[in-house]
Amino acid sequence: MRPSNQILSLLTLVGLVALTACAQLRALPSLPASHPEELSAGPVSCAECHEDQQKGTMKAFAAFNHSQVFIKNHRFYAASDDALCSSCHKASFCTDCHSNRGALKPSLINGNRPDRMMPHRGDFLTLHKIEGKLDPASCYRCHGRANNERCVACHR
Amino acid sequence: MKKVFCRLLPALFLAALPATVNAESSVDSTSILRIQHDSGAGVPGKTLAPLTQFLGVDLDKLGDGNLSAHLYGWGQVNLADRSPNLSSSDRFDGSLTYGYLQYRFKNANARVRAGRLFVNEGIINEQVDGVSAHTDLPYGFGVSSFGGATVHTVHVPDAGTDGKGDGIFGGRVNYRKSGLLEIGFSGVYETKAPTRNTLPFGVLPGSYGDHRVVGGDIWISPVSMLQLSGHTSYNAETEKLAEHSYLLQLTPVKDLVLSANFDEQHDRDYFYSSILFADMIKDLGQESRSFGGSASYAIVKNGEISADYKHYSRDIGKAERFGGELRGSFLDNSLRSGLSYHYLRAGSDFAISPIFSATGSFQEVRCYLMRDTKSYFAALDVIDYLFKKPVDNKNSAWEASGSLGYHLKPDLALSGDLSYGENPQYNNEFKGLIRLTYNMTSGKGATK
Repeated sequence: MRPSNQILSLLTLVGLVALTACAQLRALPSLPASHPEELSAGPVSCAECHEDQQKGTMKAFAAFNHSQVFIKNHRFYAASDDALCSSCHKASFCTDCHSNRGALKPSLINGNRPDRMMPHRGDFLTLHKIEGKLDPASCYRCHGRANNERCVACHR
Repeated sequence: MKKVFCRLLPALFLAALPATVNAESSVDSTSILRIQHDSGAGVPGKTLAPLTQFLGVDLDKLGDGNLSAHLYGWGQVNLADRSPNLSSSDRFDGSLTYGYLQYRFKNANARVRAGRLFVNEGIINEQVDGVSAHTDLPYGFGVSSFGGATVHTVHVPDAGTDGKGDGIFGGRVNYRKSGLLEIGFSGVYETKAPTRNTLPFGVLPGSYGDHRVVGGDIWISPVSMLQLSGHTSYNAETEKLAEHSYLLQLTPVKDLVLSANFDEQHDRDYFYSSILFADMIKDLGQESRSFGGSASYAIVKNGEISADYKHYSRDIGKAERFGGELRGSFLDNSLRSGLSYHYLRAGSDFAISPIFSATGSFQEVRCYLMRDTKSYFAALDVIDYLFKKPVDNKNSAWEASGSLGYHLKPDLALSGDLSYGENPQYNNEFKGLIRLTYNMTSGKGATK
C-alpha cells in the first residue's frame, strides 16, 4: 500500500473514531445548569431529597451533604465536581473568599454573616505570625501565587 | 498578551449583547463605606474613607439558551484623602476577579469558557485570561484543558516581578466509576518564570523557579459509609514530590461524620513557583506535616456538635490543636448561633518572638448569634484569643462586632457594622462600616 493510501486509511479511521465518540457523547447526560427548585437558606443536606441512586458516573448525593466536615474540606470536591457545585452556587459564592486579589477581608465584607466559615476573623494580623509558622501550606493555598499587597508590604 | 486580552474581553461581551433578549439575569452589588482614623507617635494622623463597590453580574440563557456571561469585580476610591501628592493609582484601585462567557452543551457536561476565569481541577488552581473546556467521555472518562495568559499580581519589591511566567496551560483527565471511584491526573505548565538579577540576603539559591507541576487525585467510596479523597502533586522542575493531602470520612450512622486527614508538604517543592513563599524558606529540605481527626454529630435536625484534633510537625518543632464547636439554627433557620473553643499548644519555636521563654500557645473562644427576618437582620460576633504568655504586653486579642440591617425592599438592604477590640496591635480598635446590598435575580435560577 502506498504511503498516501496509508495516511488516507488512518485519517478515515480517526474520523470514524471521532464520529463514534461524538455519537456516544450525545448519549451522556448533563447536570442541570441550576437547581430546579429553590433551596432553603443555610447549609443543605442533599440526601434529604435526593435518593442515592447515581445516574451515569455521578457520585452519591450523600457525599455532598454540607456537614461541617464537608464545608471545611470542600476543596477536595470543588476540584472535581465544580459542575455540581455550580448547579446550586454562583461563581461569586466562591469569590466571597477566593478572589485572588481582594479589597477587604472576607469576614469584613460579610460581617452580617457570622455563620459562614470565613477565615481571619478578629485580630488575625497578630495570629498569623504563629499560624504561618505552624502551617504555611494553609496560607499558600490562597496567598501563594497571589502575592497580595498586604503580604508583600512586610514579607519582601 | 495582556493587551490582546484587554481588547478581547470587552469584545466577547459586546458580541454577546444581541443574545440577551431572553436572558435570565442576576445582579449582586455590595457597596461598603468604611471610615477609619490611623494615628501613631510622631506621625500625623490620617483619616481614610475607602468606598468599595463589589459587583457581580450573571446573564444566563443567552442566545440558544446554553450561553451565559459571568462577571465579578470590585473598585475602590478613597473619599477622605485629598492630599495633592496622592496619585490617581493611590486614590483608585480595582480588580476584575472573573469575567467570562460560558457555553454549556446539552450533553456530557461539556462546556467551554472564555475570558478571565478560575481553573480548579485536580491539583490545578489558577486564575487565567484565556480559554477552558471540559467534557465527559464515554465509559466514565472525562477530560478538561485550559490555556492562556497568567493573571499578574503585585510585584514583590526586591524582586521587581510577581514571579509568574506570561503564559500557562494545563488540563486533567479522569475516570469515574459510578458512586465508587474517581481518579484524575492533572498538570500545569507555565512559561519560564522571570529571573531575578540579585538574590536578596537570606534567600536560598534554588528555592524559586518555573511553575510546572503534575499530580493525581482520587475519590473512592468502596461502601457508602466510607470515602477517601485527596491528591498528590509532583514538582517537575525540582523533580520531587510537592504535596500529599488526603481526607478519610466515615459515616457509621446518618447523623455522625468521622474524619481523619493527613497533609504533607515538601516546602521547597510546594512553594517553588511562589516568589513570596520561596523567599521565606530557610532550608531546602524542610517539610511540613499534619494529621488529625474530627467527629461531627447532628444532635437535632438543625444542630451540630463537633470536636477536632490536629497535630502539626515541622522541622522547627511540633504543635497540636484541639477543640470543639456547637452550631444550631432555629425558627425556620432565621435564628443561627454558634459557640466554639480551641486550644493551640505550641512551643517557643512557633512563638511570635521565638525566644526560649516564649510560647505560641493560645486559646480561641468564639460565639455568634444572628437573626434574619423579612424586615431586619442582626448579628453579634465575639472572638477572643487568650495568649498563654503576653504578646506585646497584652494577654489577649479580642473583638466584639455587631451588625444591624434593614431590608428596604426584598432585594435591597442597608446595614451597618460596628466593632471594638483590644489587641497587641492597638490599645483600642474601633471600626465601623455602612453596607448597601442589592441582590436581584430574574428567572428561575436557584443558585445562591
